[in-house]
Amino acid sequence: MGGKVSCTLGEVKNRADFVLYWGGNPAECHPRHFTKYALMPKGRFVPRGRKDRTMVLVDIRETKSVKAADIFLQIRPGKDFEALSILRALVKGQHVDEKQVAETGLTLEQLTDLVDRMKRAKFGVMFFGMGLSMTRGKHMNSASILTLAAELNAYTKFVAMPMRGHGNVTGADVVMRWTTGYPFGVNFSRGYPRYNPGEFSTVDLLVRGDVDAALILGADPGATMPQPAIDHLARIPTVVLDPKVTHTSRLARVHITTAVTGISAPGTGYRMDEIPLPLRPALRSPYPTDEDVVRRIHQAVAEKPDWMAAGGQTTTTQI
Amino acid sequence: MLRIVGGQVYDPAHGIDGVVQDVCIQDGRIVENVDAAPTIDASGMIVFPGGVDVHTHVAGGSINFARAMTPEDHRRTTAFIRSQTNRAGVGGMTPTTFATGYLYAGMGWTTVNEAAVPILSAKHTHEELRDIPIVDKSCCVLLANNEILLDLLEAGEMERAREVVAWQIWASKAYGVKAVNPGGVAAWKYGKNAEQLSEPVDGYHKVTPAKIVAGLAQIVDDLGLPHPLHLHCNNLGVPGNLTTTLETMQNLDGRRAHMAHLQYHAYGGDDWSTMRSEAPQLADYMNAHRNFTTDAGAVLFGDTVTITADGPWQHLLYKLTGRKWGNLDVENETGCGIVPYTYRPTNLVNAVQWAVGLELLLLIDDPWRVFLTTDHPNGACFWRYPEIIQLLMCRDFRRDCMAGQSDKALSRIHLPDIDREYTLYEIATITSAGPARALGLPRKGHLGVGADADVVIYDQDDDVARMFGHPRYVIKGGEIVIEDGDIRATPEGRGLLVRPPHDEQIEAFLRPLFEDYYTMSFDNYSVEMERIQQPEICDCIDTE
Repeated sequence: MGGKVSCTLGEVKNRADFVLYWGGNPAECHPRHFTKYALMPKGRFVPRGRKDRTMVLVDIRETKSVKAADIFLQIRPGKDFEALSILRALVKGQHVDEKQVAETGLTLEQLTDLVDRMKRAKFGVMFFGMGLSMTRGKHMNSASILTLAAELNAYTKFVAMPMRGHGNVTGADVVMRWTTGYPFGVNFSRGYPRYNPGEFSTVDLLVRGDVDAALILGADPGATMPQPAIDHLARIPTVVLDPKVTHTSRLARVHITTAVTGISAPGTGYRMDEIPLPLRPALRSPYPTDEDVVRRIHQAVAEKPDWMAAGGQTTTTQI
Repeated sequence: MLRIVGGQVYDPAHGIDGVVQDVCIQDGRIVENVDAAPTIDASGMIVFPGGVDVHTHVAGGSINFARAMTPEDHRRTTAFIRSQTNRAGVGGMTPTTFATGYLYAGMGWTTVNEAAVPILSAKHTHEELRDIPIVDKSCCVLLANNEILLDLLEAGEMERAREVVAWQIWASKAYGVKAVNPGGVAAWKYGKNAEQLSEPVDGYHKVTPAKIVAGLAQIVDDLGLPHPLHLHCNNLGVPGNLTTTLETMQNLDGRRAHMAHLQYHAYGGDDWSTMRSEAPQLADYMNAHRNFTTDAGAVLFGDTVTITADGPWQHLLYKLTGRKWGNLDVENETGCGIVPYTYRPTNLVNAVQWAVGLELLLLIDDPWRVFLTTDHPNGACFWRYPEIIQLLMCRDFRRDCMAGQSDKALSRIHLPDIDREYTLYEIATITSAGPARALGLPRKGHLGVGADADVVIYDQDDDVARMFGHPRYVIKGGEIVIEDGDIRATPEGRGLLVRPPHDEQIEAFLRPLFEDYYTMSFDNYSVEMERIQQPEICDCIDTE
């Protein structure tokens, strides 16, 4: 398993006649997703818009998104990996165990019907949310749905895409990749980037108490992270750059108010399909931009003596 | 100011073949003479114009997708440690942007052409290009599967298509036009491909791959772009694809084209088990038709990751290898596929591919029309170019490399029968002078007065790979950037663009199409000039 078979959102708009959301509630979390990209728009090859598309929703409970779905499959919590594995088997025409099917909370008829619809689609897309990627199984669930999409290409055109959100998280991911090779969880303590999710990711570093200062930009971990991580942020000098007062800014030693990117500060935002969009400020702000502040901090740090020991510029043996 | 004294100068653009003479630099350019300048004593050393890479993938959505897919490679490769002069990063199969600049410059290359840019994500490409220090950069925009253009070709509206292409080049801040698997990537949007040049593309009645290629080549010539159509043919990598390649070239009917990574398009046989090299036939055709240039797209054994806009091919490669598969179709424009790959000497197909790249370089007799590339990172990573130079310059080394190969593999290739050894003069041609001329960059690839002062100085060494892998000095724009393996300075590179004239009214035609087909507003589509680092708008030419 590995990789990602995907497309930009315009391909979905123009071609998708089968749209599945798994573990997400776009009606409330990505309110423009249905209308702008995935369901309502009339596309080049789906001229009747919504009428030309079948929408399936897989979730553990009835959310507001159910109303928009043609088919709602209520799956038992924590059984996503199992259900996806069964779907992969059914796609390949392999035998599946009725008892294992029953454990997912779905019936074999439902899953067989789903596979039939997937194979009959001309262009299928599966969007998956944090209800899949952040529950039991985590990254293995994501790998499983991505693999299902890849394998369906033996029968028809199929793609999958994570429903990303939280501001410009995709942009951060993209920039980290071109500057360090890794999307997140990067450790620079040896002078070069190292990556190990679970070891160097923010939550883990904070919970272990490995961090003795924090600079927080464009995020509110005080609202979302586990309590031990939040407690540690309160213990150490935490500096927050944020236009507003947040949970994190309240516990921070320093809060620098900055201009709102996209409203009063320019920049580039990356859409969930990694397409960059220019952000043009409509208003002026008395506050500096995030970029200004970071640049000035960087300048001040650069004036200090360099802590890196003088040595080679490269290493062939990363440790 | 700088004077390089006593080096053996190789400057093929001026016919200078190892003559000991001084090279003088002032204000970033080569000049006739300088007074009282600091000197570099290059006695016993070899002086080359800076290398020019005509076809590489170093910036943008596709290489960045590949970076995400190969963290295990980043961890095992050379890492760049942050210092006062350089940024941190990793090398390997898909180097980070800063490392890309250091690695290219560290090998003596000072200009690179990113070969595949979708307009929709061109802002991303340019953001990455900004973060590649030292080298100058150009890029080619992907147009052979652009549905707005295909619709115009279907309707026979060539003049409007030309205006649209001119607009698109400037909108993406590109330097040239790239065609990848014409029609095939558009067909891949519904899981199909385009394998026959004269059959209509899926979803069209009149448009065929042949018409797309001829149409785009004509438009590129009409617009007078300094670089001809940059063409990745249909049926890349497929046994027996020589027929397609030759048909494509015949179909161009005298128009200019740069045939990208020709190694992947020079195979005979009917399937994987009968695949063989047809490099001699393709080389003969190249030798007889001067409207073409090409780059080798050579393969070296080892691990790499394949990256191409050729979506259907990457799906096939995924099915063949069972390895990770990345795919990103770009609305109305193009696609992108990523599959990690290992070229093994014991694999018959890989052995043939390895030989074909070298055979093309050795059998195409005019070094001004065949250039050194690996289609980085597809055939091998760019930082392995010195190994290929060694293979080209040393017949005995080639023979040693073939010693372990099976009789079956040897029966499919022609390399054992080729005695040619490249001279330093020819190496300077295929790595610098030739690609600079093919790109249409008059100040690159030579050391004449007025040229950009991009100069490499190598310690003369019998070990060719070591010599080319470790230049003694690299000078970019008159500044010493590499000295004895250390990065001394990391100046910003320039962004090379063209601005072909177009009718401003074409926006009135494009804007409503955007509302219908795209998910980005028309006003957000073009790359703003502020995103280009040190932009330099190059002149269009008279192609008559």
